[in-house]
Amino acid sequence: MSHPMLPATTHDEAAAQLFVRDFKMFLTESVEPGHRARAERLDPGASSNARVETVYDRLHADEGFRAWASLRRTSQEMLWAGVSESVARQADSLEALAAAAPEHGSLTLDPNFVQPAYLDSGDVHLMPGGYAHDDGALLQGAVMDRGGAVYMLGRNGGLMNDVRGHTIVAHIFAQYPDLDPREILELGCGVGTSLIPVASAFPDAQVHGIDVGAAMLRYALARARHLGATVHLHQGDAENPPFPDASFDLVFSSVLLHETSPAAIANIMAQCYRLLKPGGVVVHLEVPNRYDELDLWGKIRGEIEADYNNEPNWKAAISADYRALLAQAGFSDIAVGYQAATSTPLRGAGGFSDTSMGTFRSWFVASARK
Amino acid sequence: MTQPAPRPTMPTRAKRRIPVPGQSPAEDRMLAMIAALASELAVTRERLDSVERLLERANIVDRAAIETFTPDAAQSSDRDAIRRRLIAHIFGPLRSDADAQGDA
Repeated sequence: MSHPMLPATTHDEAAAQLFVRDFKMFLTESVEPGHRARAERLDPGASSNARVETVYDRLHADEGFRAWASLRRTSQEMLWAGVSESVARQADSLEALAAAAPEHGSLTLDPNFVQPAYLDSGDVHLMPGGYAHDDGALLQGAVMDRGGAVYMLGRNGGLMNDVRGHTIVAHIFAQYPDLDPREILELGCGVGTSLIPVASAFPDAQVHGIDVGAAMLRYALARARHLGATVHLHQGDAENPPFPDASFDLVFSSVLLHETSPAAIANIMAQCYRLLKPGGVVVHLEVPNRYDELDLWGKIRGEIEADYNNEPNWKAAISADYRALLAQAGFSDIAVGYQAATSTPLRGAGGFSDTSMGTFRSWFVASARK
Repeated sequence: MTQPAPRPTMPTRAKRRIPVPGQSPAEDRMLAMIAALASELAVTRERLDSVERLLERANIVDRAAIETFTPDAAQSSDRDAIRRRLIAHIFGPLRSDADAQGDA
């Protein structure tokens, strides 16, 4: 399944994007195991108080590791370069398609908006311009949408990239079956990959999303309109969401926290509490790993991602004690665990447990009630 | 009549690109060029595969005949030019470096 706003590809653009997908797969499946084995040989042991740092430094002494790490980054740069070129080619038709969308929902931009410092310091995932880049149109959103689908290698709902949103709905059905949200907000909605499935699960609700990127939001609105979803999008920062207290019954985020900062995570928890009506529910979905459960290579891989794919808050986000953070923000009925990934959330299906089923099979979720 | 404002160019470089400790920028660049070359080759192969399959579907080309095709002299000469241009293009940096050495 796809949607009308998704940038199309020519024969050669599609081939180039498939090359990136398969090159990444080769680097991960065929090259990485050797470096992983070497990391285990270089391990100073659990008694070392700088185990990960030591192994990470020692790995860099090897030319092959350096070549692998740099080609891994290159594959990511190729992804964005290929997608950008393809999007630029069809800029006029994408804008015309956006203009022709049925007019429902809304977009509120803030001309004085300044992106948070943690985003300004580096472009997350090496996407040139970052989430907040404003091209004056919607091209950055188109790049993000197409690039995200290629980056996920089809494992998160293919070109719709919407499994996380459906999984959030499944979590609500499992943990808060009585919740009938009238006002919903997503923090960091991006192009709306998670917002749309949540909106379609609660068709009577008024659905809002905030994001830092004007181009991202223009694209998200057109994408939602073509998908028949009515959403109200606002340029804003999750640490300072532009809404009065007690505005929402459901506030959620989807893989947002690991792109923020340690201080921002605590501030976002507090803002969610402020924004919810009494009895309202917060759901944060995150990457399905906990730092202390990772093996040595899992931790090394995180360092590689932080350094060479601009994921600087990855470690803090998967180390955070969400139970404590949510309690500190004032929440009760706190649930922290893993929700089975799904494209078809059903009431009564459950799917929430203490144990991860692995990457792309389940997602980490921290949720609570005000 | 006024021209429409030129479309802003899209950003091509990500902010925060830290060096891989111990790796020279030259090696990083060289690996990136090889990856780009491999991508170009994969795209070309895929396009050629499409062309062959479409021609076969239209009963214009028997794909087995490609294996036994022998170019005549003029065709060979054209193909030599394609191959030599490719070599000069890919190994251009090597020649630039040698030329610079020669000029020095």
